[in-house]
Amino acid sequence: MKESLNHNEPVWHFCDFLGHRVVDPQGHSLGRLFDLVADLREHDPPITGLILSGPRKSRQQLAWTWVEEVLPDEVKVRSGALDSLSAVATSPGEILLRKGLLDKQIVDTGGAKVVRVNDLQLRQRNGHLVLSRVDVGTRGLLRRLGLLRVTAALIQWLFGYTLPDNFIAWRLVQPVGSHDILRLKFSQTRLARLHPADLADIIEDLDQPERDRVFRALDIEVAAEVLEEADPKVQVQLIQHMPAEKASDVLEQMSPSEATDLLQELEEPHAQTLLEEMEPEAAQDVRCLLSHDEQTAGGMMTTSFFSQPPHATVNQALEILRREASDFDVIYYIYVEDQQGQLVGAVNLRELLTSDPQAPLESIMVKRVVSAALDDKQRDIADLFVKYGLRALPVVDKEGRIHGVIRFKSLLEAVAPHLR
Amino acid sequence: MNLRSPATSHRTEPQKTPMSRQGYWRRLALILAVIGPGIITSNVDNDAGGITTYSLAGSEFGLRLLWIMLPITGALILIQEMSARMGVVSGKGLAALIREQFGAAVTFYLMICIVLTNLANTVAEFAGVVASLELFSVPRYYSAPLAAFLVWFLVLKGSYKTVEKVFLGACVFYVAYIVSGFLAKPDWGAVSREILTPRPDFSTAALTMVIGLVGTTIAPWMQFYLQAAVVDKGLTAKDYRIIRWDVIVGSVTVSLIAFFIILVCAITIHAHGIHIESAKEAALALVPLAGKYAADLFALGLLNASLFAASILPLSTAYTVCEAFGWESSVDCKFEEAPQFYILYSLMIVLGAGLVMIPNVPLIPIMYFSQVLNGVVLPIILFFMIRLINDPSVMGEHVNSRFSNILTWVTAGVFSLLSITTAVTLIW
Repeated sequence: MKESLNHNEPVWHFCDFLGHRVVDPQGHSLGRLFDLVADLREHDPPITGLILSGPRKSRQQLAWTWVEEVLPDEVKVRSGALDSLSAVATSPGEILLRKGLLDKQIVDTGGAKVVRVNDLQLRQRNGHLVLSRVDVGTRGLLRRLGLLRVTAALIQWLFGYTLPDNFIAWRLVQPVGSHDILRLKFSQTRLARLHPADLADIIEDLDQPERDRVFRALDIEVAAEVLEEADPKVQVQLIQHMPAEKASDVLEQMSPSEATDLLQELEEPHAQTLLEEMEPEAAQDVRCLLSHDEQTAGGMMTTSFFSQPPHATVNQALEILRREASDFDVIYYIYVEDQQGQLVGAVNLRELLTSDPQAPLESIMVKRVVSAALDDKQRDIADLFVKYGLRALPVVDKEGRIHGVIRFKSLLEAVAPHLR
Repeated sequence: MNLRSPATSHRTEPQKTPMSRQGYWRRLALILAVIGPGIITSNVDNDAGGITTYSLAGSEFGLRLLWIMLPITGALILIQEMSARMGVVSGKGLAALIREQFGAAVTFYLMICIVLTNLANTVAEFAGVVASLELFSVPRYYSAPLAAFLVWFLVLKGSYKTVEKVFLGACVFYVAYIVSGFLAKPDWGAVSREILTPRPDFSTAALTMVIGLVGTTIAPWMQFYLQAAVVDKGLTAKDYRIIRWDVIVGSVTVSLIAFFIILVCAITIHAHGIHIESAKEAALALVPLAGKYAADLFALGLLNASLFAASILPLSTAYTVCEAFGWESSVDCKFEEAPQFYILYSLMIVLGAGLVMIPNVPLIPIMYFSQVLNGVVLPIILFFMIRLINDPSVMGEHVNSRFSNILTWVTAGVFSLLSITTAVTLIW
């Protein structure tokens, strides 16, 4: 059961502990070890208690401080422990290793994937027993089955292949099975280090209860980004399981075109409720987009673009950009529209940055702007993007008024499924 | 998990109409979005093994075993309802629940059991393909590899979802048995007498047939598949009432068809003292309806049923195992991302198709005994299901009622007894 690694600190496998007799110096048996309590608030979570199973499935708790020595086949406790047994009660931040971690799904934030816990590794550190690594590999699984030695030897003999260990350090793990741990602020969880696209993949891989739990723990902004990246089916489920109030907040944060796509997948009454909950301005954008077919320019565009009148100066435009860039889906092009809302020109960000601050936009703008009509099909749009090497494409109606802008990203999303 | 099984990913079509509709249509849309898992599972349940076992039950025992379909239907509804309920309440697949509540070791040995049983079923599906195409004089050395490649290609290249609708639509074929049943003009008095006053038969052959009927109607893989389908569809406790009807309608349909297959085989095949040695004899049941085209009709129906189930079984098995051990599993992954999933999936198909290519391997017994194996394994799965559905940490307030528990324990008890007796008699 002990295994020495490069350090001289002994290492234990949690599963080898389970079922061991817990005895006091007088030789009284207090029960068998059923579970361990760890305090997850610490960086290296120390083991703080033991859960003992007695006759007829009774469970009692004992503080770890009573433990005298851990032997290969039993746990010795100091005398008096028998009177210190109490009912099972964990404080916030504490977790039962067997109940809350073993065999459950966790997120490996290093590899950005979801795995199942086969075993846990405990280590002696500064006189404390701490949780150090999570075993997610085949060796851990075989050890659980009691077949490790036989199988490992067989594979070594047959293929000359040594079964590798597959551990994840505790600091790279995000448990998702327990409410307490995810009730933390999102920025304090290890999930905060992940890219929203990775987070979306992880959320897709989790079982549904864990999926909702993790999603609820996210900040509104992060939730919106994750939702944009998620598979449409998962998007719908996540939104459906969320209270309308929070769901509408998330939708407001999403780009109008993504929010529209999502609302189109929902059942009508639910989508209607969410639209009513949203801020009028955001809801208006979405309502407008909803009236277009998903497959056409009108359905692919976002209404969150930056436009200026012809006489506005470079400096004025830069001022506004500096202040509000985060609110726009498209900032690389500044569209110039006249009083009738007609698209008369466009300036790209590079030109804006390198032009004289006092120059009016109409003096530097490109007048022949490539644009799509509201009912143009995906194929036509793709052709325009390719031909002109654009990052975004404005969408205009028959009178030449600008209605929205198609981002390259939206095109990619529409086209990507056909690339496989 | 992106996609647990292809059968389950009917997304509701995006609503392109402006958002205002009447309550009736809204209700209908809501119901249509939820139904599916139960009905699809039931139709896949009428697979090669199913058709064979029901045909044999009628042709070998006449009307004598017909009554047993009534209690089996009850048990089917009872068990499928539990699967669906566990799915909507826990939001997890059966394999994941077993792993989390019973630990790694128990799960491992159970998975071995499931993989072997499902493999036997997959072999049976390919046997069905081969048997049906032999009626068109296609040798098995062509039909088996071709079917294997077709299934493998359809599922992995993502065109399965479209094809599933074709499979499901072609299940209308089963109506042929009902029509044939009426056209054959059975003595309905004799039929009702057999059902109302069953004569117990404790011979080994009869017991084996009974466990085969149980195993084919309530197959172990169905419980994993149905629960995964419910979870994958994102159904929750609020959808439970609709999904329960989905399950009941599906279960009654499958049993009704089974009932008519047995009936019609009893009056067309058994009555003439014919024994089913190959698909040719089994096709005789459709003569009252299709006359000289009976063999063609039967072959097409069997082919559809076999391909449908052959597309689902290997995939369902791979998902189940990967879910239990936390391995990546999705047809959207690359091979390097989900090696266990792809190896298991492909192995099921290769072995399934490979075994039926052995020269002169008897197809009808393969299809029949795979279902007997289902029946023998079923009580083990039932035991886990009963434990899980009574665990408040999994089911919350939705644990079984005392009444359901009594019914389920009685069912599990009877099945275990049958299963043990059959296992013992088959070995000795």
